[in-house]
Amino acid sequence: MPPKMAVRQKPRIRVPNSLKGLHGDEVDFENTWVTIEAAFREIHTKNASRLSYEELYRHAYRIVLKKKGEQLYKNVHDFERSWLSKEVRGHMQQLLSPNLLAHSQSVASTTANERRVSGEKYLKGLKQAWGDHLVCMSMLADVLMYMDRVYCQDHRRPSIYTSAMVLFRDEILNSPLSAADERTILGLLNHVILGQIQMERDGDVIDKHLIKSCVHMLDGLHADDLESEDQRLYHVSFEKEYLVTSREFYRAESELMLRESDAGAYCKRAKKRIHEEEDRCRATLMEPTASKIREVVEAELIQGRIHELVEMDSGVHFMIDNDRWEELNLIYDLNARVDERKSEVTRSIQKRIMELGIEINNEALAASHAPAPAPAANADTGDKSKQTQEKNVNLQTVAAIKWVEDVLGLKDKFDRIWRQSFDSDSLLDTAMFNSFRDFINSTSFPRSSENISLFIDENMKKGIKGKTEMEIDQVLDKAITLIKYVQDKDLFERYYKKHLCRRLIMNKSVSNEVEKQMIEKMKQELGPSFTSKLDAMFKDMSISADLTSGYKKHVEGLGDRDPKRIDLAISVLTKMTWPMESINGSGEAQEGNRPKCNFPPAVDKVRRGFEQYYAEKHSGRELTWLPNMGTADIKAVFPKVPQKDGTFKERRHELNVSTYAMVILLLFNELPANECLTFEEIQAQTNIPRNDLVRNLQSLAVAPRTRVLLKEPMTKEVKATDKFFFNEGFKGNFVKIKVGVVSSGNKVESEQQRKETEKKNDDERNFVMEAAVVRIMKQRKELPHQKLVMETISQLASQFKPEVTMIKKRIESLMEREYLERIEGAAVDSYRYLA
Amino acid sequence: METKKKFEIERALATENQAVSAGTLKEDNPLDTTETFRHFCEACRRGDLKVCQEMIQAGVNVNARDRHDYTPLILASLCGHYEVIQLLLENGALCERDTFQGERCLYNALNDRIRNLLLSYDYAKSSNPLQPLAAHITSLLTRPEPATADLTIEAYDQSFHVHKFLLAARSPYFAKKLRAAPNTTTWTLPQNIPSPSLAVALQYLYFSEVSLRRALHGLNDEEETHVLEGIDKIGRQLEMDRLFDDITEVSDRRLLRQKRAEEMTRGRDQLETWFKEHLLDNKLEVDTADVDNLKWDRDNSIYADILLRADDREEDYEPVETDASPGPSESSTPPARSILGLPVKSRSPSRSRKPRKSSIYPAHKAMLLRSEYFSTMLNSPFREAQQTPYLQIVTLDCSPKVLETILAFLYTERSDFGLDVAIDVLFTADQLFIEKLKQRAALIISTLGNGNSSTVESENPRGETDAEELIDIYEVIRAGWDTRVQRLEEFGARYIAYRLESYIDTPDFAEIVQESARRVKGRQETDTVELVDDIRYYLSDRFRLRFEDSGLEEMMEQRGAADAIVEAMEDLGVKDENEEKKDKLLGKEIEEQSAAGAIRTLDGELAGDEFAQDAINYQILLGKIDQLLENLNLDA
Repeated sequence: MPPKMAVRQKPRIRVPNSLKGLHGDEVDFENTWVTIEAAFREIHTKNASRLSYEELYRHAYRIVLKKKGEQLYKNVHDFERSWLSKEVRGHMQQLLSPNLLAHSQSVASTTANERRVSGEKYLKGLKQAWGDHLVCMSMLADVLMYMDRVYCQDHRRPSIYTSAMVLFRDEILNSPLSAADERTILGLLNHVILGQIQMERDGDVIDKHLIKSCVHMLDGLHADDLESEDQRLYHVSFEKEYLVTSREFYRAESELMLRESDAGAYCKRAKKRIHEEEDRCRATLMEPTASKIREVVEAELIQGRIHELVEMDSGVHFMIDNDRWEELNLIYDLNARVDERKSEVTRSIQKRIMELGIEINNEALAASHAPAPAPAANADTGDKSKQTQEKNVNLQTVAAIKWVEDVLGLKDKFDRIWRQSFDSDSLLDTAMFNSFRDFINSTSFPRSSENISLFIDENMKKGIKGKTEMEIDQVLDKAITLIKYVQDKDLFERYYKKHLCRRLIMNKSVSNEVEKQMIEKMKQELGPSFTSKLDAMFKDMSISADLTSGYKKHVEGLGDRDPKRIDLAISVLTKMTWPMESINGSGEAQEGNRPKCNFPPAVDKVRRGFEQYYAEKHSGRELTWLPNMGTADIKAVFPKVPQKDGTFKERRHELNVSTYAMVILLLFNELPANECLTFEEIQAQTNIPRNDLVRNLQSLAVAPRTRVLLKEPMTKEVKATDKFFFNEGFKGNFVKIKVGVVSSGNKVESEQQRKETEKKNDDERNFVMEAAVVRIMKQRKELPHQKLVMETISQLASQFKPEVTMIKKRIESLMEREYLERIEGAAVDSYRYLA
Repeated sequence: METKKKFEIERALATENQAVSAGTLKEDNPLDTTETFRHFCEACRRGDLKVCQEMIQAGVNVNARDRHDYTPLILASLCGHYEVIQLLLENGALCERDTFQGERCLYNALNDRIRNLLLSYDYAKSSNPLQPLAAHITSLLTRPEPATADLTIEAYDQSFHVHKFLLAARSPYFAKKLRAAPNTTTWTLPQNIPSPSLAVALQYLYFSEVSLRRALHGLNDEEETHVLEGIDKIGRQLEMDRLFDDITEVSDRRLLRQKRAEEMTRGRDQLETWFKEHLLDNKLEVDTADVDNLKWDRDNSIYADILLRADDREEDYEPVETDASPGPSESSTPPARSILGLPVKSRSPSRSRKPRKSSIYPAHKAMLLRSEYFSTMLNSPFREAQQTPYLQIVTLDCSPKVLETILAFLYTERSDFGLDVAIDVLFTADQLFIEKLKQRAALIISTLGNGNSSTVESENPRGETDAEELIDIYEVIRAGWDTRVQRLEEFGARYIAYRLESYIDTPDFAEIVQESARRVKGRQETDTVELVDDIRYYLSDRFRLRFEDSGLEEMMEQRGAADAIVEAMEDLGVKDENEEKKDKLLGKEIEEQSAAGAIRTLDGELAGDEFAQDAINYQILLGKIDQLLENLNLDA
């Protein structure tokens, strides 16, 4: 101690002598190191259990405290380097064998088994060396803990453990195999592991555990000294090679498989390979490789091949036709792996739907044309041809319903595929929807709307009889599904209204509840504007029921009860809501010029009575009578005729006839027996339109079961000169007899009718389009042409798909009528709204 | 972080008082009117580190309050004694947000530095000082390596591996039971107690914060009752009467904390008692020469599984023989053993000189694992980790007293040792990687070693000159460097700064400055000499308060120190007409004026008053530092 100032006393607390000596230079580093080195040698030769940790730690601690940490660090480093380069490397060289060193080209000279065995031996040797190194180094690190914590941290040195890892990389892995062979141990290691993996791919069983340990070693070492994450030897060395060789392997394999196996087998194999690689990454290699190798396998087995695969003879087409759901699922799965949009599978599915759809369309067309319809010229010449036409119409109705069922069948099939094979994929759902829509709306098949409506009609009238609620619901849902496909919703609406109208007025529906349910479903799917008119029709019907009972009360209230009173059940239809063209009957007589039917006085009285009653309730409303839509119940008394038992008996029948037929029959009430009326006379007296008259007379005088009248001559055709008698000898088996009118059901339209319907529809579309254009312009005031067209289309999308040329025409028409004007000098064609 | 508004603090106080008077909450800051506590508060106010540390070690409650409702922490923060606050906080003084006293303390903090220090010790972030001990013991239940458990409790579906010494320390039942049969290796749980109940009891016994809710999770009502009854039963059987009450959930955070703190303290006290009565009382003192012959059976009455050896210091004894081999060597001579498994001391009374002694302490690996040194040793396949027929003896490089201190810390978290062993403890703790003990040693050195003085300049205006030197400050600084404890270097700088007059001219000082410079160079950090920077900082600290008041510092900055001095002298009518004359006169004047009580600077100049004297002294000391650096060829 240097001298201190005199005033200071000797301090009471001092550093203990045993430690004080540490600051001096008289440290016997060399001797201590000899002790430590000897101990390290023991550790490396696995004799550590005799060594005292405390002693070794204390030596190292003192050296570091004496500021000799640097020297110690360097000595340990050198010791480890020489140990690795001499002892361990020498040991590794002993493991080399000729068939291990053989280049891959000369592989043929050795058997796979020999190679596997020698490879495993080498891997085991390396694993052992690495494991020993780890154990020794962790023991060294334990002993040198104080050096690591103090010297290394202060001097920013990597810990001794870390630097020993680097040494292993440099002295072992990166060293040449032998003096004669330039290749590094790392290179050979990669080669051996890849060889083993190839054997596993070929079906051999390999020691996964062994490889995994070697892989762990590579993962624990870094190519650089900074230990950066992306510089792990596993990534920079092994994984790279692994991906390259795997790519080559799978490319070759996919080519072979495409040549030799069918699509299903290919898919199965590909899927198996993908799973194999996943398992391999888990069990043999490292997890992070999984995504990379998957990319490689997918690129080689799927990406480049999927098109060929889908198009193969045994591809998607074949699978669909043969219900190979599992294979479809496989191919879908493969496609989905490489392509989010699954475009290849989607494309082929869409193609197949279109093909099958068009087939159904064509079948329907063929069916409706099958008994070749008589040429239009012959149509009104012969009775015969008219008969066949009626028949054709029936056939066509059947064909229409068959079409709907076929489409539904197709839909079911693809729905099942979609659910079972395509994991209910929403993209494919959309694609399939589009394809269905496309063929259903295809221009070559214009009858979809009508067919669907007919299908519903059929079901409403007959189909749902005796079905449970659930089944009915299913039928309705099916119908809704189809309606959703229809683009020209307005056309469908038109047909539906027409068919619904007949069902309502003629009371043909099985259940009004179901009708309403259907409307409700349509409302949900297509919006309330679509169903507003249909709703109104139902409303009319219920109002009519009220009117009927109201009127009945009114009549009763009049007091004098007329024994001959005629009961009236009335339907008052709003003109705008109901499809008048179908009410007016087959388009012969246009609205307005319909001749008024002459009612017999008794009936006429009722009519006037009701008109009066109605006018009191709603002033200013005009009622137009539609006798062609009505029916009447008549009590008819036929003269006595001899019975089987010889007695004579009057026969009473209740005849249910159309309104026209009632009018006709009442004529015969006033006629003396045995007198007759000619066709012309009847027509003159009743003013019934000719067509309706013919039809009604046919059912009264021709149809054998309801032959209330007799006709002379007795032919099927009704001619102007025919004479009609009351059939006094009419025999009926029942009291109640329904006299049907020919052609009263909803049937498919003839080509001509359809054209008319379309024309009407187009006319109405014109109004709708104009209304849309005006609505838009009123709001925007000014708008360029393109935008106006776009907006119009989008506004009308829920109703139909307007053609651009039609919109153009409407705009022009609106300009003519000065709703719009062209803006002069605008850069793009633009219009202005004229208020 | 916002300081709370007054009304918010008042509201906190009101709710707190309510809870205290309702008896649900124990008062955090009980009133203490003893003379000792008053003395303690006084020391906190003055900033007397040494007294504070001494009194804390003597066991004063750092969280009590005085008659004026002041806690020591509030006093220290109010008066701005950073070091004292640190000391208090490190010894468990509470400054908890959302409590009245906590907010008051923050509110009263003299400056932001102190406020931030207080905030950094918020209970939410730091924890009970006993928590590390508790956490370690808890971890013993699940720690797989190395195996330290020596008793297996068999339940019908599960077995638990536990430590006899801990059971004996914590449960009177086990203490009796094991004393009767120390060799027992299994204990079977009574049939009527379900194993989840035992699990809960063991967690509690192992200082774990037991969550009944977790223990009962997924049980139906019947099973739940069964388990709860089981807990009650096992509590009674093990004679741990507080078990059931203590694990019952409480929702209040502070109440929970208090309960937990109480339980930890109780547990620690049990451990401490056990430690003293069993470990320390079974300590052996043998001649160093014979120590290798010592054999201790695995089965012993205190369940020790390792022996620690410390040799008496060489300077106290002449070496009996030259012990060339470091560490104990194998011995083949059969040991003399008593039937109890305790070794028989072999004495050699014939020796004329007192032979060197070694002390042997039995210990438990489970507790030694708290030191990273031991945990590495016992996990590494060296000799110490091998299973041997007799207990292994591990030598520690320290005196028995230091070893005892270390063991006491590992077993009880106590670190009440004196300045005399502090440096030894510091080095040993560093060697054994017991960071907390290292910090405690440094704390003790830097508080107790400060001398009998306040850190407040006003009470010590002229620096330390007459105090008794307790420590060799150079060794302390070097020890700080060697063990990487920043606090000691700072303490050393402060210590020297306050006594710089007596150090600045010594060669020792020059040497340590040079060492500091070398260290910096070696670590290639900054190009300043850390120690000198620190000394300058504390020097300015020492003089600052006085300058601030007089505005002298400002004056000196404007004109330069020399002018100021001249002016000051002129004001007093001291004219230095010529230098020579003054020099001649100096000797005479000094004598004369000393007699008259005149005030002089360090270089003998006559100063006008104490302020002027300080200013000049400050400049002189700074100048000397610069001169020293220049001489040593150092940049600063």
